[in-house]
Amino acid sequence: MKALALTIATIGVATFAVSLTALADEPLGSGITMYFQMGGNPGDGSTLPRTNGARAAAAAYGVKLIEQYSGWQPETMLKHFKEALAASPGCIEIMGHPGNDAFAALVADAEKRGIVVTSGNSPLTKLKDQYTANGFGYAGVDLYEGGKLTAQKMIEYGGLKKGDKALEYGLRAQAERGRSDQGLYDTLKAAGLEVDYIEISPEVDHDSSLAVPILTAYIQKHPDLKAIGTQHGNVTAFIGKALQDAGKKPGEVIVGGIDLSPATIEGLKKGYISVTLDQQLYLQGFLPVTQCVLSKKYGFAGLSTNTGAGVVTPKTIGALTPLIDKGIR
Amino acid sequence: MKDSLVATTDSKANRLLQIEGLPILAVLLALVVAFMVAAPEVFLGYRIYMSFLATVPPLLVLAVALTLVIAAGEIDLSFPSVIALSGWVLAYCIHELGSPWLGLILALTSGALVGYVNGILIARVGIPSIIATLATQFLWGGLTTVFSQGLSYSLGDVDQLFLWRLLVGRIGPFPVQALWALAVAVALWLVLNRRRFGEHLLFIGDNAKVAEVVGVNVVREKIRMFVLMGVMAAFASVLLTLENKNFFNTQGGGYLLEVMAAVFIGGTSVFGGKASVAGSVVGSFLIGMVEAGLVATGLQGFWVRAVVGIVFLGAVVGHLVIEEPERGRALLRLIGAKVKLGRSTHT
Repeated sequence: MKALALTIATIGVATFAVSLTALADEPLGSGITMYFQMGGNPGDGSTLPRTNGARAAAAAYGVKLIEQYSGWQPETMLKHFKEALAASPGCIEIMGHPGNDAFAALVADAEKRGIVVTSGNSPLTKLKDQYTANGFGYAGVDLYEGGKLTAQKMIEYGGLKKGDKALEYGLRAQAERGRSDQGLYDTLKAAGLEVDYIEISPEVDHDSSLAVPILTAYIQKHPDLKAIGTQHGNVTAFIGKALQDAGKKPGEVIVGGIDLSPATIEGLKKGYISVTLDQQLYLQGFLPVTQCVLSKKYGFAGLSTNTGAGVVTPKTIGALTPLIDKGIR
Repeated sequence: MKDSLVATTDSKANRLLQIEGLPILAVLLALVVAFMVAAPEVFLGYRIYMSFLATVPPLLVLAVALTLVIAAGEIDLSFPSVIALSGWVLAYCIHELGSPWLGLILALTSGALVGYVNGILIARVGIPSIIATLATQFLWGGLTTVFSQGLSYSLGDVDQLFLWRLLVGRIGPFPVQALWALAVAVALWLVLNRRRFGEHLLFIGDNAKVAEVVGVNVVREKIRMFVLMGVMAAFASVLLTLENKNFFNTQGGGYLLEVMAAVFIGGTSVFGGKASVAGSVVGSFLIGMVEAGLVATGLQGFWVRAVVGIVFLGAVVGHLVIEEPERGRALLRLIGAKVKLGRSTHT
């Protein structure tokens, strides 16, 4: 009887010890649910690394991740935020495209309910200033600065000079997303280039292969064209083809773009694309999940990280290719 | 004597207007001439036309196939997802398995499968086509992302393959896919206008119940029609993927409205029973070249899309005025134009 009692007591202590150990080993974000606005469509070149980063962080921290894809439509982002609010999660990551005013009341409601809200890809400066203490951070490029950097590198790489003809093919009509195009445009103009602008249509925005004849026509119309700039990832991928169709050789026109889809890499390798801004999208997925866990668990304030510190050129692309193939870079 | 001469001229004009696709072709030619005048350095050279002949074929193949579906009074909204799905199947077989011919066969089979599922849902189960194909658009598009794990493929050396040269290679500067698209258009024109299957589709589009009463197997014909649409969408995807030398996970997403616009501008009735394959061919070129043409004329900034809309509207009105002078006159009267057309000038 005594032996039985001893055995039961031993098992009890062991179970308690195991439970404690399990508790100690429990991932930091265990029990937290996070709604995450990924931006575009599942798997597109401008979205996949962000998804992969967020998934990796969620797996590491034990966070339950709910992915939301808006096709970059601001109104869908607002709708997704309302849906997320209705589910009362621990954290919500939002894209800044709809702007501060559109999000203000919704974010205020979330903050009142103790939900950690943070932002990515496109900044919400006013809201971040207001709610930094509660964990409202930003992981992304300063869009205007990203466009500016792309233009600066185009000028540097291609030796562009005052009076040279350039085309900016962008989305300036979209208030937030268009700021990177604005940065590119302003910088080329400031350097004295003669810059034309064409707005990307919604059809091209969805399927950028439709940009090829439009760009081909423009390139042929302007035989003195020296540079093309865009801050649209999928359009970047097709500029090389348009140049080929228009009879241009690699390097004849300096091309500055954004992101690293397989077609863009091909364009870089062949020399049709001169520079492309690397937003390091994986970080835009990984860091907001980290932000969520640290703020929710320990009350840390919001952190701001500029994820787009540099450009990739034909000289530097080689080392990145294996990571790009895996959807990390 | 004068009256009989006028009558003869009118009858010749009417006969000309009866030629399928001619009115919209006149509109297209007028547009090309306008572009030639406004941007001679682009539109008097060959390169821009070669670019159109390389990029319009997927749109054209989709438009002529959709013409048959609309002729039967149905719609297919799932083809953008077939472009993604079949493109992935082809790219996977080339990229991962190194088997382009297997890729071609499986890509076309996947399109047929999607079409068959659509056909069953619509013809047998009785779900309206707009709802069934909207649902399958989401389904197949989503599954493509699952299958591809969200990855795009670069098919860098695909232009070394015989399959690439056969389907999208170049004869000099001329893109071979334009010949394939033409072959598809001719084949589907024959199907619609010279085969019993096409006759049945038009009959179904006109009145499905009457068609059934007179012995047309409506269910079978609709299933065959959706399978054909699926295979054609897959073929368009093959052309697009090989031409781009890349598979994009989201490819096809921009085609839905453009293809429908090409079909309707071409003169196919939205209510079914009346269709023009030739009109859809011309409509595809009109849709595929208008934005490039406007950009070449020097139009810039935010105006491009608005002017594209004006040109489309002009094309539709021009088509109406040429093909149906009575309705054209009514429209012009409505907008207060003091233009006299056709017989109204012979008072």
